[in-house]
Amino acid sequence: MSLRYMTPASKFKRYLPKDYVELVDYGPFGRKYSEVGVKNMGAYKELVEEHPMCSGCWMAYYIKIIFAALPNPEDTVTIGTAGCGRLAISQAAVPFIYGNYGDQNAMASGITRAFRLRFPDRQKDVITIAGDGGMMDIGFSMTMHAWFRRERFTTIMLDNEVYGNTGGQESGMSVEGAVLKMSPKGKNFGKMPAMQLAITAGCVYVVKMSPTNINKAAKAIRRAIFAARNLGPTFIHVYTSCNIEYSIPTPDVFKDAKEMEKGRFAFEEFMTPEAKELFAQIESKTKREVS
Amino acid sequence: MYYVAKVNSEMCSTYKCNMCTLYCPEPNTLMFDSAKVEGREHGTSWVDEDRCKGCAICVYVCSDLLNRDCIEMAMVTAE
Repeated sequence: MSLRYMTPASKFKRYLPKDYVELVDYGPFGRKYSEVGVKNMGAYKELVEEHPMCSGCWMAYYIKIIFAALPNPEDTVTIGTAGCGRLAISQAAVPFIYGNYGDQNAMASGITRAFRLRFPDRQKDVITIAGDGGMMDIGFSMTMHAWFRRERFTTIMLDNEVYGNTGGQESGMSVEGAVLKMSPKGKNFGKMPAMQLAITAGCVYVVKMSPTNINKAAKAIRRAIFAARNLGPTFIHVYTSCNIEYSIPTPDVFKDAKEMEKGRFAFEEFMTPEAKELFAQIESKTKREVS
Repeated sequence: MYYVAKVNSEMCSTYKCNMCTLYCPEPNTLMFDSAKVEGREHGTSWVDEDRCKGCAICVYVCSDLLNRDCIEMAMVTAE
């Protein structure tokens, strides 16, 4: 979608849905990141609309940050798969493509290549956003092979350590000993080392984090998108708790995310020397561009 | 019947703060109005009650983290 296509003719404006007109008038399209961005959330019309995700869902919160942090929302496409996340991702004013059962990274490979042929003069960002099941269990082979082929797009894994959407079965990312459905005596093996797998497979920028600091989270997302434009695959592994299956009272969801940040989701960042050089260039040119 | 967040604008506008708006998981629900109203020092947060799902994360941010107690959960009324 480009900015020109979404601006309505003035005579038609009053017949259009209110949400759409608000998005054109007060939305982030075509505006500077310093005016909209994550720091000003609540003062402009956000890209995500109302969605059916649970009350206090930390995954919904992180999805909100993703869309607020996009460097170029009018030229972005998101791809998701079955799971909780797509319920909110598909409600955003950014084109969303539904990859069937874990093939989001295979589809993104084709779409990025097609975009480079179709729009050689314009930079289109492709982001795959899926849960731990879609990315590391069901879509594991396609995720890994997209990285091995060094496809240039961003992969974001929303890790809630459980199959939340289907009722709480154990996933490859659940911790050892977690009592969940399909693992009544506790899970027998540990969490898959997603970050190490991504580094080994050739991702140029990899982050593991729990989103408690909004600026840090947005910076990681923007860096991942900038690095994916020219250098190669990038990966963000983020903790987004499932307050239903892990029985976290909704007011304590943020507290839980902070505890996780001290534990197994401590902030870790990996970047290749080329990526480091790129970020230094971008961040020195316009400081607010990334941070 | 369910609870939604309610911001005490009088108290909220005494602080230069929009932390709760940054931590609300619902988009365009906990908004920030930076307009300077007479008698108020700073802008204030406000809640779009139709969209609020009542998770009370904003109450945790305002009361537990910042000790400001400007937001409380209130029962939705028919008005």
